[in-house]
Amino acid sequence: MLHSKKLVPYTFLIVPLILYLIWVIGPMAYTFYLSLTKWDGLSEPVFRGLANFERLFRDPIFFTSLKNNLRWIISFITIPVVLGLGLAIALNRAIPGAKFFKASFYSPLVLSLVVSGLIWSWMYHPAGGLINSVLRAVGLDNLARGWLSEETTVMWAIIAVAIWRQVGYVMVLYLAGLQGVDPQLIDASKVDGANAWNTFRHVIFPLLAPVTVIVVVISIIDSLRAFDLVSVMTRGGPYNSSSVLANFMYIEAFNNYKMGYAAAISVILFFISAVFIFIYLWRVTQDELEY
Amino acid sequence: MKRTLFTLLALFMVMSLVLTACGPTATPQIIEKTVEVTKEVVVTKEVEVTKEVEVEVEKLVDRRVVIYNSYASDPAPRAADEELVKMFEEAHPEISVQHSTVAHEDFKQAIRAYLTASTPPDVMTWFAGNRARFFIDKGLIMDISDVWENEGWNEDYPTGFQALSTVEGKQYFLPTSWYWWAVYYRKDIFEQYNLEEPQTWEEFLAVCETLQDNGIKPLTIGTKYRWTTAAWFDYLNMRVNGPEFHINLMLGKESYDDPRVLTVFTDYWAPLIENDYFIDDPAAYTWSEALQFMVDGSAAMYLMGDFLRDSYPADQVGQVDFFRFPIIDPSVPVGEDAPTDGFFVAAQSQHPEDAKAFLAFLGSVEAQQYNADVLGRLPTNMKVDTSNFTPGQQKGLELIQGADFVAQFYDRDTTPEMADKGMNGFMEFWANPSRINDILAQLELDRQEIFAEEQ
Amino acid sequence: MSTSKFFSSPWRTLGFFLLLLITLIWLLPFFTALLTSVRTNDDILTQGFIAIPKEWTLRNFVTAWTRGGLHQYLPNSFIITIPALLGTLLLSSLSAYALARFRFPGNRLLFFLYVGGTMLPFQVLLLPVFRLTDALGLYDTHLGIILFHTAFQLGFCTFLLRNYMRTVPGEILEAARIDGCGEFRIWGQIMMPLTLPALAALATLEFTWIFNDYLWAIVLLRTDALKPVTAGLATLQGQYVTDWTVIVSGALIATVPTVLLFIFLQRYFIEGLTLGASK
Repeated sequence: MLHSKKLVPYTFLIVPLILYLIWVIGPMAYTFYLSLTKWDGLSEPVFRGLANFERLFRDPIFFTSLKNNLRWIISFITIPVVLGLGLAIALNRAIPGAKFFKASFYSPLVLSLVVSGLIWSWMYHPAGGLINSVLRAVGLDNLARGWLSEETTVMWAIIAVAIWRQVGYVMVLYLAGLQGVDPQLIDASKVDGANAWNTFRHVIFPLLAPVTVIVVVISIIDSLRAFDLVSVMTRGGPYNSSSVLANFMYIEAFNNYKMGYAAAISVILFFISAVFIFIYLWRVTQDELEY
Repeated sequence: MKRTLFTLLALFMVMSLVLTACGPTATPQIIEKTVEVTKEVVVTKEVEVTKEVEVEVEKLVDRRVVIYNSYASDPAPRAADEELVKMFEEAHPEISVQHSTVAHEDFKQAIRAYLTASTPPDVMTWFAGNRARFFIDKGLIMDISDVWENEGWNEDYPTGFQALSTVEGKQYFLPTSWYWWAVYYRKDIFEQYNLEEPQTWEEFLAVCETLQDNGIKPLTIGTKYRWTTAAWFDYLNMRVNGPEFHINLMLGKESYDDPRVLTVFTDYWAPLIENDYFIDDPAAYTWSEALQFMVDGSAAMYLMGDFLRDSYPADQVGQVDFFRFPIIDPSVPVGEDAPTDGFFVAAQSQHPEDAKAFLAFLGSVEAQQYNADVLGRLPTNMKVDTSNFTPGQQKGLELIQGADFVAQFYDRDTTPEMADKGMNGFMEFWANPSRINDILAQLELDRQEIFAEEQ
Repeated sequence: MSTSKFFSSPWRTLGFFLLLLITLIWLLPFFTALLTSVRTNDDILTQGFIAIPKEWTLRNFVTAWTRGGLHQYLPNSFIITIPALLGTLLLSSLSAYALARFRFPGNRLLFFLYVGGTMLPFQVLLLPVFRLTDALGLYDTHLGIILFHTAFQLGFCTFLLRNYMRTVPGEILEAARIDGCGEFRIWGQIMMPLTLPALAALATLEFTWIFNDYLWAIVLLRTDALKPVTAGLATLQGQYVTDWTVIVSGALIATVPTVLLFIFLQRYFIEGLTLGASK
């Protein structure tokens, strides 16, 4: 009895784990190996030791990209989290048209990336774009600029679009999390005479803490893996000023066919993410004693 | 609650099955999962579909197959491509061409998967010249000397195109279409200000000056995708330093910090930028978005390939004409960019004979005549009748025939990696012309590293 | 609360209209896309990117459906997405249950493995996964891409579900165990219903991602007849000339299934206040 009980978790794990090991962990391990080689994707990889990493730490594009990823993280763990949480709480009640609102905020996630990128570059269009037109109409001519063509604004302009997409995603996670909140607790705090803000601060927000942790972890991982929007809106340009690590890696891999170098960039990204994950896991271990 | 959700998912399954009753492949894996999650109704449906599919597959087996993957994803070439496949199938009813089109950019990424797959596409589109050479050297492209021999292409194709396809005496490639680059301009605007097509650099600058004085931007360009800047570099470098120097630079045999390269930037390119002859914020636009400034008349000229006319509004394209990029130094031989595309057979092709038959058709007079007539592109097969060519095509043909040297284009003539670094350099120069010395020094370091690795 | 009662408070009314305004701004790019889909390419070139068209047309939708091949790509998208979605939800709920509810050697390590698998920028895996698929004889088949999506999404789903399953009070499970329930029955009859909000939210997100994937489709599939809608639409992008109005129209058609699914499933993770009360 005791013996078979020990085996129970493994019976749950066996199928998913095999699939995961073959399709994900295997190729990942292979990528780690590739980071030590020179490979053009056609011939056999040639072992190079740490040469790719040495070159990486001399590459100015690497540091530009890293800096841009950090900007991305900082934006992502603040703005979409706050907006997504706000929306989830606002919409998790009987508001006329709530379904319409929720679907609206989710819709940016649904629209194909290529089309989102296209439409947004029209919004940012220096001459006829919506944003500059509005700025000029209200007399703020000096604020109008080539949002995607200037070194100083391009990264933020892309991050803004990313936030536009991310908010609906965070909202969905919080909406699911809110279902775990016992409404009796909220009622109780209302009976105690707490106003809406205090109810939120002292009852709802602490109860949502596990969701917030997940959202933050996901936001960090997503920021580090950011790729799609950069790739469709600027491909990292003008001259690498909007490059992020995943995009830098992609160009090295599929434009320059330096798969080994690209793998090295990915490995570095992996270790940066791993730092955050270890912090998270450590926290989880501290909190979760009971099974 | 749970039941409703699963019913819903089951509903989706059924929907998808109904939708796909005519499609291929149903997998045993799905059936297993379906059993676990949904009710039996769905399972029987699945079995029925599988049967239908099997019948369909059997029918297909009778015809031999050629798998053809193409990057001709622009609307007009794509339609012509599909038509050519149809023509071939009509002529060879025993062969079925499995034609797939992949977006041009994505194709460049996917080709390394295609070439190393156990079942690669048999026939693929690709760039002539260096980019094909790379795969030929790796043994990934099939020797098609027999097709060249049997079809008489050794006589029907100009020596220049033969050379593009030949490595060590064997032919591996079939060049089929090419187009020219030139400075396109608005005829009506030129007439309005009594301007002539400039032949020399001085005349060109005078034209720019006049347009500028009249409130019209002389030149439009969209550099969001950087290759448009490379056209300016190609032409300026070829006109100033000659095609031989240019191609050696592309091959890594000359250095980027050579004073001759510096002159191109400081004496010719920088003045155009500093005089504001180009539109504002070019980096915000793709090449076709920047075309808008030419259409609305706020800019007059555009250095571009002949595909410009495919994009121009159909009712106004009559206002557009083109001239040869102005001559800077008359003592220097004339080089032109004329990128050439074509086809090859994968070395691992599973259907080599039928693939070669398809290739033979693509290089035939019939197919090339069709492309020339429908797309206005230039044929490579000399037997194609050029007498019905439009004046535009005739002019383009003369432009290229009058050249001493024909280059492919910056990103085809040099390695992809060098092209990436180079075009970034051009972009940075555009934003900060004064940084050119540093930019070229960096490019030279990149060149040494990239071409050292090539060895 | 009835609509009239809702608007009886001026503050609520003000808040409502503020929300409506923000929503409309949020949807601006969507409206632009809709507008673009009824214009012609020549109209865009002559009048600018965002303008009221001189000539309205629904031809782009027709072109996207026929020449753009949507009638062929859309069924493929379902063939790929639905099995991958069901597979990944089923398998990840199994592994999440084990990781959330059992103490055994290697639990943390496995959890890290699942989370770690989501941390690499996946584009770097394109060629290795292609090699693997080809070696397994699954290149250019739906099964190959379905299996890959199922496996690849396991990491994220397991991560999320494990955390959600941790929040279920342990007493419920203990009670069932004392009643002699087998673990698979506890998983199926107690844990899964309680995890429904998270499963529904995940199903929505995963459907969106798998349905919208196109990089993997390009690398793992070679034949047009097998490609899903996003990869199919991407083939309309030319080297020089792209028929944007058709792509936008096609993309709008392709959003319909996802939006419908969202509207269907949202009741499971949104009407929770009542659900929680009956618990």
